Amino acid sequence: MEFSYEVRDSYAEVKADGRLNMVSAPKLREFVTDVIAGGSNRIVVNLENTAFMDSSGLGALIGCLKAARQAGGDLRIAAVQPQVKMVLQLTSMDKVLTAYGTAEEAFSND
Amino acid sequence: MVSPPEIRRAVVIEDDPDIRGLLVRVLAKQGFDVTEAAAGLPGVEEVRRRQPDLVTLDLNLPDLDGLEVCKLLREFSDAFIVMLTARADELDKLTGLDNGADEYLSKPFSPRELQSRINALFRRRPSPAADSAARSELQRATEVQQSLLPQEDIRIDGYDVAGLFRPSRSVGGDFYDWYQTDDGLHLTFADAMGKGMGAALIAATVRAVMRSTGLRHDLDTAFSTASQAIAADLDSSNSFVTLFHARLDAASGKVSYVDAGHGLALHVKPGGEAHRLPAGGPPVGAWAGSSWPSASLELEPGDSLVVVSDGVLDVFDTVEDFSAAVRRATQGGSSAQAASSAILALAPAETAEDDVTVVVVRRLPKDTAA
Repeated sequence: MEFSYEVRDSYAEVKADGRLNMVSAPKLREFVTDVIAGGSNRIVVNLENTAFMDSSGLGALIGCLKAARQAGGDLRIAAVQPQVKMVLQLTSMDKVLTAYGTAEEAFSND
Repeated sequence: MVSPPEIRRAVVIEDDPDIRGLLVRVLAKQGFDVTEAAAGLPGVEEVRRRQPDLVTLDLNLPDLDGLEVCKLLREFSDAFIVMLTARADELDKLTGLDNGADEYLSKPFSPRELQSRINALFRRRPSPAADSAARSELQRATEVQQSLLPQEDIRIDGYDVAGLFRPSRSVGGDFYDWYQTDDGLHLTFADAMGKGMGAALIAATVRAVMRSTGLRHDLDTAFSTASQAIAADLDSSNSFVTLFHARLDAASGKVSYVDAGHGLALHVKPGGEAHRLPAGGPPVGAWAGSSWPSASLELEPGDSLVVVSDGVLDVFDTVEDFSAAVRRATQGGSSAQAASSAILALAPAETAEDDVTVVVVRRLPKDTAA
Protein backbone atom coordinates (compact mmCIF):
# COMPACT_ATOMS: atom_id res chain seq x y z
CA MET A 1 0.00 0.00 0.00
CA GLU A 2 1.23 3.47 -0.84
CA PHE A 3 0.46 6.70 0.93
CA SER A 4 0.72 10.28 -0.17
CA TYR A 5 -0.71 13.56 1.00
CA GLU A 6 -1.31 17.07 -0.18
CA VAL A 7 -2.28 20.08 1.89
CA ARG A 8 -5.28 21.85 0.33
CA ASP A 9 -6.88 25.17 1.31
CA SER A 10 -8.86 23.92 4.26
CA TYR A 11 -7.79 20.31 4.69
CA ALA A 12 -5.06 17.76 4.06
CA GLU A 13 -5.86 15.00 1.59
CA VAL A 14 -4.32 11.62 2.30
CA LYS A 15 -4.37 9.03 -0.46
CA ALA A 16 -4.16 5.38 0.49
CA ASP A 17 -3.64 3.21 -2.58
CA GLY A 18 -3.84 -0.58 -2.38
CA ARG A 19 -5.21 -3.02 0.17
CA LEU A 20 -5.89 -1.68 3.63
CA ASN A 21 -5.21 -4.80 5.70
CA MET A 22 -3.29 -5.99 8.72
CA VAL A 23 0.03 -5.17 7.05
CA SER A 24 -0.78 -1.67 5.84
CA ALA A 25 -3.16 -0.58 8.66
CA PRO A 26 -0.41 0.41 11.15
CA LYS A 27 1.36 2.31 8.37
CA LEU A 28 -1.76 4.33 7.61
CA ARG A 29 -2.06 5.22 11.28
CA GLU A 30 1.54 6.33 11.41
CA PHE A 31 1.19 8.30 8.21
CA VAL A 32 -1.94 10.16 9.30
CA THR A 33 -0.52 10.77 12.78
CA ASP A 34 2.48 12.43 11.12
CA VAL A 35 0.20 14.59 8.97
CA ILE A 36 -1.71 15.68 12.07
CA ALA A 37 1.55 16.32 13.92
CA GLY A 38 2.56 18.47 10.95
CA GLY A 39 -0.29 20.86 11.75
CA SER A 40 -3.28 19.60 9.74
CA ASN A 41 -6.23 18.48 11.82
CA ARG A 42 -8.80 18.41 9.03
CA ILE A 43 -8.07 15.24 7.10
CA VAL A 44 -9.73 13.66 4.10
CA VAL A 45 -8.68 10.09 3.40
CA ASN A 46 -9.22 9.52 -0.30
CA LEU A 47 -10.09 5.83 -0.74
CA GLU A 48 -10.51 5.99 -4.50
CA ASN A 49 -7.81 3.37 -5.00
CA THR A 50 -8.48 1.29 -1.91
CA ALA A 51 -10.19 -1.80 -3.29
CA PHE A 52 -10.13 -3.82 -0.09
CA MET A 53 -10.29 -3.16 3.63
CA ASP A 54 -10.36 -5.72 6.45
CA SER A 55 -11.12 -5.26 10.14
CA SER A 56 -7.58 -4.06 10.86
CA GLY A 57 -7.97 -1.46 8.13
CA LEU A 58 -11.24 -0.31 9.66
CA GLY A 59 -9.47 -0.15 13.02
CA ALA A 60 -6.83 2.13 11.51
CA LEU A 61 -9.42 4.52 10.07
CA ILE A 62 -11.15 4.68 13.46
CA GLY A 63 -7.82 5.33 15.17
CA CYS A 64 -7.04 8.13 12.69
CA LEU A 65 -10.50 9.66 13.25
CA LYS A 66 -9.94 9.66 17.01
CA ALA A 67 -6.53 11.29 16.55
CA ALA A 68 -7.95 14.02 14.29
CA ARG A 69 -10.80 14.77 16.73
CA GLN A 70 -8.32 14.75 19.60
CA ALA A 71 -6.38 17.43 17.74
CA GLY A 72 -9.55 19.53 17.47
CA GLY A 73 -10.26 18.60 13.87
CA ASP A 74 -12.04 15.85 12.00
CA LEU A 75 -11.37 13.05 9.56
CA ARG A 76 -13.62 12.23 6.64
CA ILE A 77 -13.40 9.65 3.93
CA ALA A 78 -14.05 10.09 0.22
CA ALA A 79 -14.54 8.06 -2.97
CA VAL A 80 -15.33 4.88 -1.05
CA GLN A 81 -15.27 1.73 -3.21
CA PRO A 82 -17.89 -1.07 -2.99
CA GLN A 83 -16.08 -3.56 -0.74
CA VAL A 84 -15.03 -0.85 1.71
CA LYS A 85 -18.55 0.55 1.69
CA MET A 86 -19.89 -2.92 2.46
CA VAL A 87 -17.61 -3.28 5.49
CA LEU A 88 -18.61 0.16 6.76
CA GLN A 89 -22.31 -0.62 6.41
CA LEU A 90 -22.17 -4.11 7.92
CA THR A 91 -20.31 -2.88 10.96
CA SER A 92 -22.57 0.13 11.20
CA MET A 93 -19.47 2.34 11.18
CA ASP A 94 -20.85 4.32 8.24
CA LYS A 95 -22.63 6.42 10.86
CA VAL A 96 -19.33 7.39 12.46
CA LEU A 97 -17.04 7.59 9.44
CA THR A 98 -18.82 9.96 7.10
CA ALA A 99 -18.28 9.19 3.43
CA TYR A 100 -18.24 11.83 0.69
CA GLY A 101 -18.25 11.44 -3.06
CA THR A 102 -15.01 13.33 -3.57
CA ALA A 103 -12.28 14.76 -1.38
CA GLU A 104 -13.34 18.31 -2.37
CA GLU A 105 -16.86 17.77 -1.03
CA ALA A 106 -15.75 16.46 2.35
CA PHE A 107 -15.16 19.83 4.04
CA SER A 108 -17.01 22.04 1.54
CA ASN A 109 -19.82 22.92 3.92
CA ASP A 110 -17.84 23.92 6.99
CA MET B 1 0.34 -6.96 18.90
CA VAL B 2 2.24 -9.94 17.55
CA SER B 3 4.03 -9.80 14.26
CA PRO B 4 1.86 -11.31 11.54
CA PRO B 5 3.55 -14.46 10.30
CA GLU B 6 0.48 -15.37 8.33
CA ILE B 7 0.63 -12.57 5.78
CA ARG B 8 2.16 -14.17 2.72
CA ARG B 9 4.17 -12.08 0.30
CA ALA B 10 4.61 -12.69 -3.40
CA VAL B 11 6.75 -11.08 -6.10
CA VAL B 12 5.66 -11.20 -9.74
CA ILE B 13 8.52 -10.98 -12.27
CA GLU B 14 6.96 -10.57 -15.69
CA ASP B 15 7.59 -8.15 -18.57
CA ASP B 16 4.16 -8.24 -20.21
CA PRO B 17 2.11 -5.61 -18.36
CA ASP B 18 -1.23 -7.32 -18.97
CA ILE B 19 -0.10 -10.72 -17.71
CA ARG B 20 1.70 -9.04 -14.84
CA GLY B 21 -1.50 -7.26 -13.87
CA LEU B 22 -3.44 -10.50 -14.03
CA LEU B 23 -0.90 -12.35 -11.88
CA VAL B 24 -0.94 -9.56 -9.30
CA ARG B 25 -4.73 -9.66 -9.17
CA VAL B 26 -4.94 -13.44 -8.89
CA LEU B 27 -2.35 -13.56 -6.10
CA ALA B 28 -3.86 -10.62 -4.24
CA LYS B 29 -7.19 -12.41 -4.35
CA GLN B 30 -5.49 -15.37 -2.71
CA GLY B 31 -4.43 -13.09 0.09
CA PHE B 32 -0.85 -12.42 -0.93
CA ASP B 33 0.69 -9.04 -0.42
CA VAL B 34 2.03 -8.67 -3.96
CA THR B 35 4.76 -6.52 -5.51
CA GLU B 36 6.02 -6.70 -9.07
CA ALA B 37 9.02 -6.27 -11.33
CA ALA B 38 9.12 -5.96 -15.14
CA ALA B 39 12.57 -7.46 -15.67
CA GLY B 40 15.01 -9.97 -14.21
CA LEU B 41 17.48 -7.82 -12.30
CA PRO B 42 14.89 -5.54 -10.69
CA GLY B 43 13.04 -8.76 -9.86
CA VAL B 44 16.03 -10.19 -8.03
CA GLU B 45 16.36 -6.95 -6.07
CA GLU B 46 12.66 -6.99 -5.22
CA VAL B 47 12.91 -10.56 -3.91
CA ARG B 48 15.95 -9.61 -1.84
CA ARG B 49 14.08 -6.65 -0.38
CA ARG B 50 10.73 -8.32 0.24
CA GLN B 51 11.79 -11.86 1.13
CA PRO B 52 8.57 -13.28 -0.28
CA ASP B 53 7.04 -16.72 0.21
CA LEU B 54 6.28 -17.04 -3.49
CA VAL B 55 7.81 -15.79 -6.75
CA THR B 56 6.26 -16.10 -10.20
CA LEU B 57 8.94 -15.88 -12.84
CA ASP B 58 8.56 -15.45 -16.58
CA LEU B 59 11.07 -17.49 -18.60
CA ASN B 60 11.54 -14.84 -21.29
CA LEU B 61 12.56 -11.55 -19.74
CA PRO B 62 14.10 -8.57 -21.55
CA ASP B 63 17.38 -8.53 -19.61
CA LEU B 64 18.12 -11.98 -18.21
CA ASP B 65 16.99 -15.49 -19.03
CA GLY B 66 14.40 -16.72 -16.50
CA LEU B 67 16.58 -19.72 -15.66
CA GLU B 68 19.45 -17.36 -14.90
CA VAL B 69 17.18 -15.31 -12.62
CA CYS B 70 16.04 -18.49 -10.91
CA LYS B 71 19.65 -19.45 -10.18
CA LEU B 72 20.36 -16.01 -8.72
CA LEU B 73 17.27 -16.20 -6.54
CA ARG B 74 18.21 -19.59 -5.20
CA GLU B 75 21.45 -18.15 -3.83
CA PHE B 76 19.56 -16.34 -1.11
CA SER B 77 15.86 -17.21 -1.24
CA ASP B 78 13.93 -20.38 -0.57
CA ALA B 79 10.63 -18.94 -1.69
CA PHE B 80 8.44 -21.13 -3.85
CA ILE B 81 9.24 -20.29 -7.47
CA VAL B 82 6.58 -20.82 -10.12
CA MET B 83 8.01 -20.50 -13.62
CA LEU B 84 5.81 -19.35 -16.48
CA THR B 85 6.55 -19.93 -20.13
CA ALA B 86 4.70 -19.07 -23.32
CA ARG B 87 6.03 -22.11 -25.09
CA ALA B 88 4.33 -25.33 -24.12
CA ASP B 89 7.09 -27.37 -25.80
CA GLU B 90 9.65 -25.97 -23.38
CA LEU B 91 7.70 -27.31 -20.47
CA ASP B 92 8.80 -30.92 -20.77
CA LYS B 93 12.46 -29.98 -21.05
CA LEU B 94 12.26 -27.66 -18.08
CA THR B 95 10.52 -29.99 -15.70
CA GLY B 96 13.21 -32.59 -16.30
CA LEU B 97 15.93 -30.21 -15.14
CA ASP B 98 16.76 -29.33 -11.63
CA ASN B 99 16.95 -25.60 -12.03
CA GLY B 100 15.55 -24.52 -8.72
CA ALA B 101 11.94 -23.87 -9.63
CA ASP B 102 9.11 -25.59 -7.75
CA GLU B 103 6.40 -25.50 -10.36
CA TYR B 104 5.97 -24.77 -14.07
CA LEU B 105 3.01 -23.38 -15.90
CA SER B 106 2.54 -22.65 -19.58
CA LYS B 107 0.81 -19.54 -20.87
CA PRO B 108 -1.99 -19.03 -21.40
CA PHE B 109 -2.97 -20.29 -17.99
CA SER B 110 -6.28 -20.01 -16.20
CA PRO B 111 -6.29 -18.11 -12.90
CA ARG B 112 -7.94 -21.14 -11.33
CA GLU B 113 -5.11 -23.41 -12.41
CA LEU B 114 -2.53 -21.02 -11.04
CA GLN B 115 -4.40 -20.83 -7.75
CA SER B 116 -4.63 -24.58 -7.35
CA ARG B 117 -0.95 -25.10 -8.19
CA ILE B 118 0.04 -22.50 -5.60
CA ASN B 119 -2.25 -24.00 -3.00
CA ALA B 120 -0.71 -27.40 -3.66
CA LEU B 121 2.78 -25.96 -3.13
CA PHE B 122 1.82 -24.43 0.19
CA ARG B 123 0.09 -27.63 1.29
CA ARG B 124 3.18 -29.69 0.57
CA ARG B 125 5.27 -27.85 3.07
CA PRO B 126 4.68 -24.82 5.21
CA SER B 127 5.83 -21.51 3.86
CA PRO B 128 9.62 -21.37 4.17
CA ALA B 129 9.52 -17.71 5.11
CA ALA B 130 7.41 -18.37 8.20
CA ASP B 131 10.02 -18.74 10.86
CA SER B 132 9.70 -21.40 13.51
CA ALA B 133 9.43 -19.03 16.46
CA ALA B 134 6.49 -17.32 14.82
CA ARG B 135 4.98 -20.72 14.11
CA SER B 136 5.02 -21.81 17.73
CA GLU B 137 3.43 -18.48 18.65
CA LEU B 138 0.81 -19.26 16.06
CA GLN B 139 0.37 -22.71 17.53
CA ARG B 140 -0.28 -21.28 20.98
CA ALA B 141 -2.78 -18.82 19.52
CA THR B 142 -4.51 -21.74 17.81
CA GLU B 143 -4.78 -23.56 21.13
CA VAL B 144 -6.28 -20.52 22.82
CA GLN B 145 -8.79 -20.17 20.04
CA GLN B 146 -9.77 -23.84 20.02
CA SER B 147 -10.30 -23.74 23.79
CA LEU B 148 -12.98 -21.08 23.36
CA LEU B 149 -15.37 -23.31 21.46
CA PRO B 150 -18.18 -24.88 23.49
CA GLN B 151 -17.64 -28.44 24.62
CA GLU B 152 -21.26 -29.29 25.28
CA ASP B 153 -23.85 -30.12 22.65
CA ILE B 154 -27.18 -28.38 22.76
CA ARG B 155 -30.26 -30.60 23.13
CA ILE B 156 -33.49 -28.68 23.19
CA ASP B 157 -36.80 -30.31 22.30
CA GLY B 158 -38.07 -29.07 18.98
CA TYR B 159 -34.72 -27.56 17.95
CA ASP B 160 -31.65 -28.65 16.07
CA VAL B 161 -28.52 -26.64 16.86
CA ALA B 162 -25.07 -26.98 15.30
CA GLY B 163 -21.90 -24.92 14.99
CA LEU B 164 -18.73 -25.35 12.99
CA PHE B 165 -15.40 -23.60 13.11
CA ARG B 166 -12.61 -23.99 10.62
CA PRO B 167 -9.38 -22.20 11.50
CA SER B 168 -7.26 -20.63 8.80
CA ARG B 169 -3.51 -20.96 8.56
CA SER B 170 -3.43 -17.69 10.38
CA VAL B 171 -5.37 -17.50 13.62
CA GLY B 172 -8.22 -15.06 13.58
CA GLY B 173 -10.33 -13.78 16.41
CA ASP B 174 -13.48 -15.76 15.61
CA PHE B 175 -15.33 -17.87 18.13
CA TYR B 176 -18.81 -18.94 19.10
CA ASP B 177 -20.12 -20.02 22.46
CA TRP B 178 -23.42 -21.39 23.69
CA TYR B 179 -25.06 -22.93 26.70
CA GLN B 180 -28.49 -24.15 27.61
CA THR B 181 -30.66 -22.23 30.05
CA ASP B 182 -33.96 -23.04 31.74
CA ASP B 183 -35.77 -21.23 28.94
CA GLY B 184 -33.67 -22.34 26.01
CA LEU B 185 -30.31 -21.14 24.82
CA HIS B 186 -27.77 -18.33 25.04
CA LEU B 187 -25.56 -17.86 22.02
CA THR B 188 -22.54 -15.60 21.50
CA PHE B 189 -20.79 -15.16 18.17
CA ALA B 190 -17.79 -12.84 18.00
CA ASP B 191 -14.89 -11.76 15.83
CA ALA B 192 -12.02 -9.77 17.31
CA MET B 193 -10.11 -7.43 15.03
CA GLY B 194 -6.84 -8.66 13.62
CA LYS B 195 -5.14 -12.00 13.84
CA GLY B 196 -2.73 -14.02 15.91
CA MET B 197 -2.31 -14.19 19.65
CA GLY B 198 -3.63 -10.66 20.21
CA ALA B 199 -6.96 -11.43 18.59
CA ALA B 200 -7.19 -14.84 20.32
CA LEU B 201 -6.66 -13.28 23.76
CA ILE B 202 -9.27 -10.61 23.14
CA ALA B 203 -11.67 -13.33 22.05
CA ALA B 204 -10.99 -15.21 25.29
CA THR B 205 -11.81 -12.11 27.34
CA VAL B 206 -15.01 -11.51 25.41
CA ARG B 207 -16.12 -15.09 25.94
CA ALA B 208 -15.57 -14.88 29.68
CA VAL B 209 -17.40 -11.56 30.00
CA MET B 210 -20.34 -12.74 27.89
CA ARG B 211 -20.65 -15.94 29.93
CA SER B 212 -20.88 -13.90 33.11
CA THR B 213 -23.74 -11.80 31.72
CA GLY B 214 -25.92 -14.88 31.41
CA LEU B 215 -26.92 -14.39 35.03
CA ARG B 216 -28.67 -11.13 34.25
CA HIS B 217 -32.23 -11.49 33.25
CA ASP B 218 -32.62 -8.44 31.09
CA LEU B 219 -30.78 -8.59 27.76
CA ASP B 220 -30.26 -4.82 27.36
CA THR B 221 -28.79 -4.43 30.83
CA ALA B 222 -26.70 -7.56 30.39
CA PHE B 223 -25.26 -6.39 27.10
CA SER B 224 -24.53 -2.85 28.16
CA THR B 225 -22.71 -4.10 31.27
CA ALA B 226 -20.74 -6.60 29.20
CA SER B 227 -19.87 -4.13 26.47
CA GLN B 228 -18.54 -1.65 29.03
CA ALA B 229 -16.29 -4.30 30.54
CA ILE B 230 -15.06 -5.40 27.12
CA ALA B 231 -14.56 -1.86 25.83
CA ALA B 232 -12.46 -0.98 28.87
CA ASP B 233 -10.23 -3.95 28.08
CA LEU B 234 -10.03 -3.10 24.40
CA ASP B 235 -9.22 0.55 24.88
CA SER B 236 -5.60 -0.13 25.68
CA SER B 237 -5.11 -2.35 22.65
CA ASN B 238 -6.79 -0.07 20.10
CA SER B 239 -8.87 -2.97 19.00
CA PHE B 240 -12.54 -3.84 18.69
CA VAL B 241 -14.77 -6.85 18.45
CA THR B 242 -17.93 -7.55 16.49
CA LEU B 243 -20.44 -9.35 18.63
CA PHE B 244 -23.76 -11.07 18.08
CA HIS B 245 -25.48 -12.25 21.24
CA ALA B 246 -28.85 -14.00 21.23
CA ARG B 247 -31.20 -15.58 23.73
CA LEU B 248 -33.73 -18.14 22.59
CA ASP B 249 -36.97 -18.78 24.40
CA ALA B 250 -37.58 -22.32 23.21
CA ALA B 251 -41.31 -22.53 24.00
CA SER B 252 -42.30 -19.48 21.96
CA GLY B 253 -39.47 -19.46 19.42
CA LYS B 254 -38.69 -15.86 20.31
CA VAL B 255 -35.07 -14.86 19.78
CA SER B 256 -33.92 -11.65 21.46
CA TYR B 257 -30.60 -10.42 20.18
CA VAL B 258 -28.06 -7.64 20.13
CA ASP B 259 -25.82 -7.10 17.14
CA ALA B 260 -22.71 -4.96 17.63
CA GLY B 261 -21.19 -4.43 14.20
CA HIS B 262 -21.51 -8.03 13.04
CA GLY B 263 -24.33 -7.74 10.51
CA LEU B 264 -24.03 -11.33 9.26
CA ALA B 265 -26.91 -13.07 11.01
CA LEU B 266 -29.83 -14.28 8.91
CA HIS B 267 -33.35 -15.40 9.62
CA VAL B 268 -34.05 -18.06 7.00
CA LYS B 269 -37.56 -19.27 6.22
CA PRO B 270 -37.97 -22.73 4.70
CA GLY B 271 -40.14 -21.34 1.91
CA GLY B 272 -37.85 -18.79 0.36
CA GLU B 273 -36.94 -15.54 2.01
CA ALA B 274 -33.92 -14.80 4.12
CA HIS B 275 -33.88 -11.68 6.22
CA ARG B 276 -30.46 -10.37 7.18
CA LEU B 277 -30.43 -8.80 10.62
CA PRO B 278 -28.71 -5.42 10.39
CA ALA B 279 -26.26 -4.44 13.13
CA GLY B 280 -27.77 -2.34 15.89
CA GLY B 281 -24.55 -0.36 16.37
CA PRO B 282 -20.80 -0.39 15.77
CA PRO B 283 -18.44 -3.09 17.06
CA VAL B 284 -17.74 -3.04 20.80
CA GLY B 285 -14.69 -0.92 21.54
CA ALA B 286 -14.80 0.88 18.19
CA TRP B 287 -16.48 4.09 19.22
CA ALA B 288 -17.09 5.57 22.65
CA GLY B 289 -20.68 6.34 23.57
CA SER B 290 -22.19 3.69 21.32
CA SER B 291 -25.34 1.88 22.34
CA TRP B 292 -26.89 -1.25 21.02
CA PRO B 293 -30.66 -1.62 21.17
CA SER B 294 -31.83 -5.20 21.37
CA ALA B 295 -34.22 -6.57 18.77
CA SER B 296 -36.14 -9.79 18.39
CA LEU B 297 -37.55 -12.22 15.88
CA GLU B 298 -39.88 -15.21 15.96
CA LEU B 299 -38.52 -18.55 14.86
CA GLU B 300 -41.49 -20.42 13.47
CA PRO B 301 -41.35 -24.18 12.95
CA GLY B 302 -38.94 -24.82 10.04
CA ASP B 303 -37.18 -21.44 10.41
CA SER B 304 -33.46 -21.13 11.03
CA LEU B 305 -31.28 -18.50 12.65
CA VAL B 306 -27.92 -18.58 10.90
CA VAL B 307 -24.87 -16.64 12.05
CA VAL B 308 -21.83 -16.59 9.79
CA SER B 309 -18.36 -15.04 10.06
CA ASP B 310 -16.91 -12.61 7.53
CA GLY B 311 -14.56 -15.34 6.29
CA VAL B 312 -17.55 -16.55 4.25
CA LEU B 313 -18.56 -13.05 3.18
CA ASP B 314 -15.09 -12.45 1.69
CA VAL B 315 -15.82 -15.01 -1.03
CA PHE B 316 -18.73 -12.94 -2.38
CA ASP B 317 -18.82 -9.58 -4.12
CA THR B 318 -21.91 -8.29 -2.40
CA VAL B 319 -23.87 -8.92 0.79
CA GLU B 320 -26.86 -9.82 -1.36
CA ASP B 321 -24.94 -12.63 -3.10
CA PHE B 322 -23.69 -13.80 0.27
CA SER B 323 -27.19 -13.83 1.79
CA ALA B 324 -28.63 -15.73 -1.18
CA ALA B 325 -25.91 -18.39 -1.03
CA VAL B 326 -26.27 -18.85 2.74
CA ARG B 327 -30.03 -19.08 2.34
CA ARG B 328 -29.72 -21.81 -0.29
CA ALA B 329 -27.16 -23.74 1.75
CA THR B 330 -29.38 -23.51 4.82
CA GLN B 331 -32.52 -24.61 3.04
CA GLY B 332 -30.71 -27.47 1.31
CA GLY B 333 -29.33 -28.93 4.53
CA SER B 334 -31.45 -31.69 6.05
CA SER B 335 -30.11 -30.93 9.53
CA ALA B 336 -28.46 -28.00 11.28
CA GLN B 337 -25.16 -29.86 10.98
CA ALA B 338 -25.61 -30.45 7.24
CA ALA B 339 -26.57 -26.80 6.74
CA SER B 340 -23.48 -25.68 8.68
CA SER B 341 -21.23 -27.86 6.54
CA ALA B 342 -22.79 -26.53 3.35
CA ILE B 343 -22.23 -22.96 4.51
CA LEU B 344 -18.60 -23.69 5.43
CA ALA B 345 -18.13 -25.15 1.96
CA LEU B 346 -19.06 -21.77 0.44
CA ALA B 347 -15.56 -20.62 1.44
CA PRO B 348 -13.27 -23.34 0.04
CA ALA B 349 -10.55 -24.25 2.52
CA GLU B 350 -7.79 -23.77 -0.08
CA THR B 351 -8.61 -20.15 -0.75
CA ALA B 352 -10.07 -18.98 2.57
CA GLU B 353 -7.63 -16.60 4.24
CA ASP B 354 -9.68 -16.09 7.33
CA ASP B 355 -11.28 -18.38 9.90
CA VAL B 356 -14.73 -19.53 8.94
CA THR B 357 -17.37 -19.92 11.60
CA VAL B 358 -21.06 -20.72 11.38
CA VAL B 359 -23.86 -21.48 13.81
CA VAL B 360 -27.30 -22.73 12.78
CA VAL B 361 -30.26 -22.80 15.17
CA ARG B 362 -33.17 -24.51 13.46
CA ARG B 363 -36.65 -24.87 14.89
CA LEU B 364 -37.86 -28.24 13.72
CA PRO B 365 -40.93 -28.39 11.49
CA LYS B 366 -44.09 -29.40 13.36
CA ASP B 367 -44.37 -32.92 11.96
CA THR B 368 -40.85 -33.89 13.03
CA ALA B 369 -40.88 -32.05 16.37
CA ALA B 370 -41.45 -34.33 19.30
